Amino acid sequence: MHMANELLSVPVAAGALVVAAGSLGVICRKLRQVISSDKLALMGILGAFVFAAQMVNFRLPAMPGTSGHMVGAVLLAIILGPHAGAVAIASVVIIQCLIFQDGGLLALGCNIINMAIVPSYLGYFLYKTATTGPFSSLRAYIGATLACIVGLEAGAVLVPIQAGLSGVLLVPFSTFLITMLGVHFLVGLIEGLITVAVLGYLQQVRPDIVMGSLPGRVRLSRKAMLATLIVFTVAIGAGLSLLASGMPDGLEWSYAERPDQPEFESAVANEDPRVVVVEDFQSKYSPLPDYSIRTSRLGEAPEPEVEAAAGWTSFAGVVGSAFTMAFIWLAAWILRKKRPSKA
Amino acid sequence: MHHAHIDKFAYQDSPVHRLDSRVKFIAAIVFTAVVISLPRTSFSILACYAVGPFAVLVLAKIPLRFAIKHILMISPFVLVLALTCPLYDKTPVTVAFGPFLWHSSLGWQRCFVILGKFIVTMLALIALVSTTRFNYLLAGLQRLGLPKVLTIQLGFLYRYIFVLIDRAHHILRARQGRKLKNLGLAAELKTAAAMLGSLFIRSLDTAERINIAMQARGFDRNWRSISKLQIRRPDLFFILAAVSFLLGLHLFVKPFLQ
Repeated sequence: MHMANELLSVPVAAGALVVAAGSLGVICRKLRQVISSDKLALMGILGAFVFAAQMVNFRLPAMPGTSGHMVGAVLLAIILGPHAGAVAIASVVIIQCLIFQDGGLLALGCNIINMAIVPSYLGYFLYKTATTGPFSSLRAYIGATLACIVGLEAGAVLVPIQAGLSGVLLVPFSTFLITMLGVHFLVGLIEGLITVAVLGYLQQVRPDIVMGSLPGRVRLSRKAMLATLIVFTVAIGAGLSLLASGMPDGLEWSYAERPDQPEFESAVANEDPRVVVVEDFQSKYSPLPDYSIRTSRLGEAPEPEVEAAAGWTSFAGVVGSAFTMAFIWLAAWILRKKRPSKA
Repeated sequence: MHHAHIDKFAYQDSPVHRLDSRVKFIAAIVFTAVVISLPRTSFSILACYAVGPFAVLVLAKIPLRFAIKHILMISPFVLVLALTCPLYDKTPVTVAFGPFLWHSSLGWQRCFVILGKFIVTMLALIALVSTTRFNYLLAGLQRLGLPKVLTIQLGFLYRYIFVLIDRAHHILRARQGRKLKNLGLAAELKTAAAMLGSLFIRSLDTAERINIAMQARGFDRNWRSISKLQIRRPDLFFILAAVSFLLGLHLFVKPFLQ
């Protein structure tokens, strides 16, 4: 689920970073108003709890070898409230990136959106909707399972959309989407089961936590939440339809020319303002346009001299870099050897 | 407790370790962005870009075996996605590399470029993290405009991850000692839930005690750090070197290595 740098293009990654930073800023400002300073430690520790909880795996009997892990965004959102939950999970994602190098630095924006913000708010909203009225454990359990599945799926849908907009992968968009949805349905179901089981345990031992008397909980305005949900759905729907309409090979392939197939007709008319904007943006931000191997087209004999020359320059590049690295390493080694003998 | 701390080299001392954390952080981001925006078909240029983080790692006396092992550990997700490329693009391409000439497909080429970019950007990230103490990085990030709530959150998280992971290991060992066979889904789930639940409650109690201790010491929602953030001459030198490295590669090497 962790998005990697390499699957994104710079404009998409930068856009996602801006969106994530902006929404985290707003959430933090909100949080400062509703949370008192003695809850800050609690949020930090519960973030660490999510880490530790990922260590606790359990054997799935049907599939030997696989094990279930829990992610915890929905659990934290249910217990801490969506703002605090989103910030706690976002900090988990940041630490995963910085300390454990899970997911790249540029992909951080996408990861925060996919794994922290969307599941927290969506999950909290679903859980709240399911548990309106007097508390009943059955309703809480159904709500929690539903929240886990839908929250995770919503985050998982965003992964192929971001990758598709970047156009790095060659996997057809629909295949990627279906794979992600299938895998995360399973993951969400398992996580939902664990979340419910943990909630059940907590209700036996510390019912005050589950009943919502744990401090730091905030009320979301239902109307605002619904409005955001609708906007979100429309945005995703628009993105999906944009990607799915006759673009089986990812967005870029359909509006860019295909170097391997010169007779390829663009599926989308280039006058489409959206496409023009995207294209402009991409050409502006990538220092060199893609697909530079044009000497070797399909069915066309490559010109041997050009090929060989290009081969030699790239050979020189790799060998030169290797020599430079060896030189740096050797120099450092010699310097380090010398120093103790002087002292 | 004994963890293979991932940033265990951050507490060494070297010219790179002494640089301002903001400078290093921004350099890592810019470097990553530049590498990601490289053309998707040229592999050899990545080797040239790898020289930068490599030099930093060597200068900071980070063992290369550690970096390589770490990259291997985190690669599976990218590896799977990169390996799908050859399945979908089988356009034949002749690759000439020095004296060698072989036939392959555009998909394989893409696959290797994705993996190469992964390795180079991860080298940069490892170079950043293993030369910067997390406290300093946080202080730098706060100066760069990270919200205060998030800074405190990250600070706490970093402080207590290893404590709680230790506890989780204790619980796991206890389960291992008592459970002799696979119990079936319902029982496994119940055990896991009890483990997680007790871990959760213990975390709550810890948080409460920490909070009391913090209040007693006059915590006022401010994250204080003894790190002095200062751009000094070595920092300027590092900026100059990084900029000239990136510009030099972009202007003089890249046009030839398509």
